[in-house]
Amino acid sequence: MVETVLAPPIQEAGIAQWLKRHLFANWLDSIITIVFGTLALWALFKVFGWGVLGAVWSLEDRELCRSAEGACWAVIEARGRLILFGLYPFEQHWRSTLACGTIVATIVLSCLPWFWGLKRLPLLWLTGFGLFVLLMYGGVFGLPVVTTEQWGGLALTVFIFASVVVIGMPLSVILALARRSRMPIVSKLAGATIDIVRSLPLLTILFAAAVVVPFVVPEWAQGDKLGRVILAFAVFFACYQAEIIRAGLQSIPPGQEEAAAALGMKYYDRVFDILLPQAFRNTLPSTINQFVITFKETSIVTIIGFFEVMASGNAAVGTGNWTTQYVEVYVFVGAIYFFFVFGLSRYGSYLEKRVRLRIA
Amino acid sequence: MPEPAIQLIDVNKFYGNYQALNAVNLEIAQGERLVVCGPSGSGKSTMIRCMNRLEEHDSGRILIEGIELNDNLQALDEVRREVGMVFQDFNLFPHMSVLTNCALPLMRVRKVKQQDAEAAAMVQLGRMKIASQAGKYPDELSGGQQQRVAIARALCMQPRIMLFDEPTSALDPEMVGEILDCMIELADEGMTMVCVTHEMGFARRAADRVAFMAEGEIVEVATPDRFFDDPSHEKTKAFLAQILER
Repeated sequence: MVETVLAPPIQEAGIAQWLKRHLFANWLDSIITIVFGTLALWALFKVFGWGVLGAVWSLEDRELCRSAEGACWAVIEARGRLILFGLYPFEQHWRSTLACGTIVATIVLSCLPWFWGLKRLPLLWLTGFGLFVLLMYGGVFGLPVVTTEQWGGLALTVFIFASVVVIGMPLSVILALARRSRMPIVSKLAGATIDIVRSLPLLTILFAAAVVVPFVVPEWAQGDKLGRVILAFAVFFACYQAEIIRAGLQSIPPGQEEAAAALGMKYYDRVFDILLPQAFRNTLPSTINQFVITFKETSIVTIIGFFEVMASGNAAVGTGNWTTQYVEVYVFVGAIYFFFVFGLSRYGSYLEKRVRLRIA
Repeated sequence: MPEPAIQLIDVNKFYGNYQALNAVNLEIAQGERLVVCGPSGSGKSTMIRCMNRLEEHDSGRILIEGIELNDNLQALDEVRREVGMVFQDFNLFPHMSVLTNCALPLMRVRKVKQQDAEAAAMVQLGRMKIASQAGKYPDELSGGQQQRVAIARALCMQPRIMLFDEPTSALDPEMVGEILDCMIELADEGMTMVCVTHEMGFARRAADRVAFMAEGEIVEVATPDRFFDDPSHEKTKAFLAQILER
């Protein structure tokens, strides 16, 4: 038989070819490309015109804001500190800045694999959170006391998020393991807790922690209002995260635990060395998702009188002469949220890649 | 007379209403190699899994090196330290390197230092001729290589008894040989072994006795020669005819 050797197909290169293949392959594609291309360009042009070209940047030009077509970024210069620091005393803002930096550094360091150990991680958190409270609350080294009612802005948002995760994660592991327990009382109790908490809105839980607890619990056991709110939030977080971890545990073949048991490994060694690492690995996307949701849900604490970054933004436009500049303030606050949430999701995909490459 | 390595006395096991083991009596001497065969669903795996209490028997007694298996967790820990097990699906830990797979149980169970545990692991990996793969992860290895790692991992604990639950059933045919060679080597060194398998060549070569199970009962136990050449029970004959026909 004669073999016919075909020349390899000519690879068409160049921008024109690429455009034709991907955007103008047939008439329907072409119409869609033109319609959405035009819309996108128009939107881009509008946003650019509003946010950059027609914008007023400096506080000195503030009179122009009334007549300007575009954004009035001067509001950020005028009200930025209120947004970032809330009700925290003006002269002490440097403390809030440092504290915020401490908590962000703690979060970033917790993300580094080097710190993942039963000694290093708690030590890191103890130092980070201790420094934060020391800086924010003061009362030592000549720093005037600032009570938690006055805490606010970005520092408060990040602090609530970090505390909820740090308290909530271990709690979620305990709940997940308890729900899988062979002892019916333990598993039923954990199941009931999870189901009840999940059936309540976060708002109700936080409100109860802030307002109802003082009526029911003796004064010595009430603690600080912020502390109660964080604890309640952490329980809420833990109940959702527990179900994610449970799903991760269920996805592990039973042979894994059997092999560990057959080797003589005891329950806690099996859980911490064999089951949990695989469960976390399997549920990384949903876990990061839960973190992102939690970060954004911190804005709910405004309802019980805490001025985290969103509430501070509202306050910044709610008073004075800036009531018309709410869009600019929301864009600013939105950018702050975006910065953190985007960072979280990038970190998530780094972890997934790391797991796939198996450096872990 | 030295006490038997494994003793099963009137062992019964139920899954709901289904009787998986029916009055099983068995005694395995120190250093003896027993091959267990039988049709699927005959209770072979259940029986071998009862020997380190991955399954709990419902009545009767099981003694391993004289230690009775019951609700006593301390006794169970002691038994599991002495009994190694190899599974059909290897069950290596996928999130750890081959070396850690072998060293970690040693560190946790026998409280050996990491360095010493890894050295001991390398010895066993070398014995299974797989030491060159120590830094890899399980899913980078072939099935045969994974099963050799699994055997090495079990051997790291210095068990006196090894249980094999269909160790070659999940392997591609060309890899069966390397596993059987490893097992024959162990057998020649005098390890007490219980092996559920359909590899009759292995049974002839390495077993002291062959047990045939059907419907949860041990139908016949005999030396390989008698078992293959002159089986006494009809069920055994039928099973052997089927298996050797292939």
